[in-house]
Amino acid sequence: MPIKNIMVAVAGGAASIITAKYAIYLARVMSSKLTAVYVVNERLLQDLMRSRVVVDIEARVYEKDLEEQGKLFLERIKKAAETKKVEFESVVLRGLVHEEIIKKAQETSTCLLVMGNPREITSRKEVFSDEGELLFREAKCPVVIVKNPEEVEKLYKEIT
Amino acid sequence: MERISEYLQKEACLMELKATTKEEAIRELSGHMARVGLVNDEQQFIQDLIEREKLGSTGIGHKVAIPHAPTQSVDGFVIGFARSSAGVDFAAMDGDEVNLIFAMGTNPQELSLYLQMLSQLSRLLRNETFRNELIHTAKTPEDVINLFKKFEKEG
Repeated sequence: MPIKNIMVAVAGGAASIITAKYAIYLARVMSSKLTAVYVVNERLLQDLMRSRVVVDIEARVYEKDLEEQGKLFLERIKKAAETKKVEFESVVLRGLVHEEIIKKAQETSTCLLVMGNPREITSRKEVFSDEGELLFREAKCPVVIVKNPEEVEKLYKEIT
Repeated sequence: MERISEYLQKEACLMELKATTKEEAIRELSGHMARVGLVNDEQQFIQDLIEREKLGSTGIGHKVAIPHAPTQSVDGFVIGFARSSAGVDFAAMDGDEVNLIFAMGTNPQELSLYLQMLSQLSRLLRNETFRNELIHTAKTPEDVINLFKKFEKEG
């Protein structure tokens, strides 16, 4: 069965670039369409307001800044995908990260979800609260965890 | 999930703060963070933290304050810790003086990490045992880091 649609979940930062590069590589070699998703973690902001660490006006500024950063980041991935001749679309979502990605993956008939390596889990609570862990566990499609950045860079350079 | 213990350096822990007011405390801890190389522009960092305080005190109660701000004065995300035995008037929400102060700053590029760290720190500090151990038991910066590791593990 061909893998028509690949989704990559990105959070910004250097690790997400590696994740995106591997997703671009996979999309290219499998002739798949690639969708990159960035989620503004609204739940996190709500929690911070509830615990009174962050005030309302501050949260709104952060939310806007996160969205802008997400768009810029996705634009960077788009350029990389275009360079490698991969069909690409991107979307910025808001909400609880793993829930939004899973929902979008189902909407877009994603066959394969590519994500960064979740952090090592050191407490039972983290199993139920870490967004990466939750995404990995609750995704409805096969999930690829990207490791070994050097190898990813090598593969990425191989495709032209 | 990133952890506070991965970012809080022992050099950034001030075990006995002299300041007694909010502004003095911010200045003293910021100065310390600049001296250990976490803050590039001390005055800018202080100004950004003080500006943030104008929106509302970051004294969140239970003897804790978390002055924080995105700032161009640091590279990446930074955190510093100060403890005051005497207590600092931080205009905290519960009216109590503050014994535990965590100053956080982030370059705007690391906003996402910074928010995760703020969330994680506030969650850990809800634990009364953790707060009491930081106030009464920790003798050295190493003890502070080890307490974070212990309570992060316990979740």
